[in-house]
Amino acid sequence: MYSFTKPDKKPIFKEDTKLWVVFITISMFLYLSFALFLVIKTYLYNKDIKNYTNEIKTIKQKITTINNKKEFIYKEKTLYEDIMVKNSLMKDSIKNLLDLIPDPITLSSISFDKNKLIIYGITPTKDIYNMLMLPPLESIFTETKTYFYQMPNGWYRFNSVNYLKEKQ
Amino acid sequence: MKMPKISFKIPKIKIYGIDVIKNFLFFTLFIVLTLLSIAVAIAPSIRHFKATKDKYFQKKYDFEITTKEYKNNLLELKHLKNKNRKVLNILKRDFDKNNFKMFASKYMDIKSIKEINSSIYKNDFIKTTYIVTSTIKSPKNFYDLIDALKNYKLLLRIYFPINFVKNQEDINLTLKIEHYKLKD
Repeated sequence: MYSFTKPDKKPIFKEDTKLWVVFITISMFLYLSFALFLVIKTYLYNKDIKNYTNEIKTIKQKITTINNKKEFIYKEKTLYEDIMVKNSLMKDSIKNLLDLIPDPITLSSISFDKNKLIIYGITPTKDIYNMLMLPPLESIFTETKTYFYQMPNGWYRFNSVNYLKEKQ
Repeated sequence: MKMPKISFKIPKIKIYGIDVIKNFLFFTLFIVLTLLSIAVAIAPSIRHFKATKDKYFQKKYDFEITTKEYKNNLLELKHLKNKNRKVLNILKRDFDKNNFKMFASKYMDIKSIKEINSSIYKNDFIKTTYIVTSTIKSPKNFYDLIDALKNYKLLLRIYFPINFVKNQEDINLTLKIEHYKLKD
């Protein structure tokens, strides 16, 4: 039997089969691409987390250094203020002691030590010293000793030694 | 008895030329592969991604807070330094006998300044002690010197023993001075 049309080659896969294969392949490619994208993004996030962790550590060390510096400045400031206060107290205590000296009594020397005050001077009479100078000294110091030496003109040269005992 | 013939061949059902069974099987394959991809690849990736993302934003927030804290501390330190510049500079300087003589000449005539000892004070400072012998006109000069030390460029403490000895017209004053500076 003779045919006027030549037979078409029979394809291995039909059109709809090819379509399904292409569709499924593209879908799988997209699924895997999406998963890969997430993995890459996760990797980048982890990298950033690591960087942030390192930076936080560095910054915290810097903060500690700054705090140490601040503490040291406060220490310096405290020392300065402490010295200034101690100088003022020293001035006031010496001024107050010198202001205690009554007019008739003349001092020839006065020596201030941490817990001791030694005064050399001249007084017209022992009574003037005992009435005007001794009471304030006794009120300040815990122990007061006075030695008198009579001068040719009848006045007295005195030596007052005063101790301040520290509280136990 | 004749056994019935069992055939495993998928029957072909065609509607308008479309092979329904084959397309249905492909569709099922597509659904199965999709579900498998989600279960095996996408879902774990999303879970991991979300956890990492949360961690990232938490870390970023921590970083911003720490940076802010650092900037505040730095600013505070700068203000503190500016506020206490005088004190900080005072503690850096060495004691200069001639300069002190010149400074104190307004109040007393210094005869000598003798270094006694030097020691570490509170771990970070050096305390050097000097004995100063001088002449003053009246105790007021001594008080004025102490007041003036507040504006002097060195940190000096007047300390015991302090001796006032009356001379003919002047008072001989001997006192101890402690100089404080930063340990190098």
